[in-house]
Amino acid sequence: MQLEDIRKLANMARVDMSDEEMKGIAKDFDPILAYVGQVQEALKLNKKIARQDLVDTSEGKKPEDYFLYNVMREDVATNKRDEYTENILKDAPDTQDGFLKVKQIL
Amino acid sequence: MKIDLKNLSIEKAHDSFKNGSFTIRELVDEYLDMIKEKNSNINAYLEIYNDIDEQVKKAEEMFKAGTATLLTGIPIAVKDIILIKGHIASAASKILENYTATYDSFVIEKLKKQGVIFLGRTNMDEFAMGSSTETSAYGVTRNPHDTTRVPGGSSGGSAAALAADMSLASLGTETCGSVRQPASFCGLVGLRTTYGSVSRSGIIAMGSSLDQVGPFGKNVNDVEILFNAITGYDPKDSTSIPEEMRMIKKEPIKKRIGVPRNFLSGEGIDKEILKNFEESCEKLKKAGYEVVDVDLPSIKYSLAVYYIIMPAEVSSNLARYDGIRYGLSEKGDNLLDVYKKSRAKGFGKEARRRILLGTFILSHGYYDAYYNTALKVRQIIKDELFNFFKDFDAFITPTAPTLPFKLGEKMDDPMAMYLSDIFSAPANLADIPAISIPSGKTESGLPFGIQITAPFLREDILFTIGKDFEKRV
Repeated sequence: MQLEDIRKLANMARVDMSDEEMKGIAKDFDPILAYVGQVQEALKLNKKIARQDLVDTSEGKKPEDYFLYNVMREDVATNKRDEYTENILKDAPDTQDGFLKVKQIL
Repeated sequence: MKIDLKNLSIEKAHDSFKNGSFTIRELVDEYLDMIKEKNSNINAYLEIYNDIDEQVKKAEEMFKAGTATLLTGIPIAVKDIILIKGHIASAASKILENYTATYDSFVIEKLKKQGVIFLGRTNMDEFAMGSSTETSAYGVTRNPHDTTRVPGGSSGGSAAALAADMSLASLGTETCGSVRQPASFCGLVGLRTTYGSVSRSGIIAMGSSLDQVGPFGKNVNDVEILFNAITGYDPKDSTSIPEEMRMIKKEPIKKRIGVPRNFLSGEGIDKEILKNFEESCEKLKKAGYEVVDVDLPSIKYSLAVYYIIMPAEVSSNLARYDGIRYGLSEKGDNLLDVYKKSRAKGFGKEARRRILLGTFILSHGYYDAYYNTALKVRQIIKDELFNFFKDFDAFITPTAPTLPFKLGEKMDDPMAMYLSDIFSAPANLADIPAISIPSGKTESGLPFGIQITAPFLREDILFTIGKDFEKRV
């Protein structure tokens, strides 16, 4: 990893960093990426265990019962107006008239 | 009045409250005295809460009203990552130094109903990133068994508080071994729960597909009591397991435990640890268990998979600390400036390193080679372990590859630090529960620990094997 690569990442991650720190991180990355790169090797272990063999199909359970599904709720307000406003704005760095105040965007 | 804190347990304390040997107030005062005596050196607690008197009153009222439970009046330490309404939760970071929680986490809500007493918030690695509690923005925590050594991490403060008798039990969190490894380093029992069994609502997020709250206790029974109190479905956590799904058919115990031999043959594992591990296997055999060598070729890749998935999730989860809604905020010329300066000032070195690592892993051109591949290997590990559990109750390994190391010893070598969790990783990736149990001490008094890993939702197997093992240590 080069200093320029780290600089791009720091910018994407919205974190200011000194050149010295970025050089250090570039050096740190190499052994870490070498270690985690082992996962490529692990892919070869894919023994293709059939899904049906992995689940308990006794008592009327079907393989489909084990599939992932999204948990959603209705898109409605779950609290009363202003119920938490004061409590939440207490921690905010800058507020005005019950709103968070931020730097100009447009 | 002197209460024998060393030999106290949750049940003993409860009986003492009932029969009048000592009161809740007296017990809490003993712990507060211990804290005054020891905490400035150990640095387990970052803050002792200012509402302990009200909590004690509430617990006393429950006894008077006849509504007290086993946990009423029990004083515990809470990791600085668990939200309690009206109290600061900083994840041991400067970026949340004065952040006051605006709601209770689900686990706290449950424990409040039982009248548990929260003594204070404990030190941890910043944002749970570490295995030694050395990356905290508020100083290191020392291991009560040898104060020149680390207590483990990231829940080192919770472990040290309990090990030094500054609490009767503690709550920590795990993303990869952060309860089990400090439990092992501090001579305690520590539980990693089945993913989805304990709610993550109100827990400052690190790796959302891995995080779980876990209890520390002096014995398996105390950990079981706390686990039963905090487990349960929470609609606010969409990965929380619904109650119907928890009603799985529980296979009776087979009394067969596997030892993944190939996993224990790497370098970097202390010889003393391996010797203690073999002795522990013999003890389990004497307790009537069949202890069999097995081959689990995929689990040695667990740590590599973890150090891809976790930084990726961290870079997403820590994006919310932007100096806008809460936390540290630096002045800037424009919005981008505010973000960059706030995050530079507020995050410590390890947090910044992992955020960048995650950003890299998720970036165009590398996403497939690292992140996608890690997800596939994670499934391979899950499947291999699921298959293994058809014929076995559990597999065992040492909890950590080394004894508690010296403060500062691993700080210059990130990989050496990361490797502390080599044995912890399989459980977290496979969403399954695991427990660390003290298995003896070295001549100089440093604790050993063994780790038992069980199938999904089978904490009961951990408690059964754990209690059988405990009797024989």
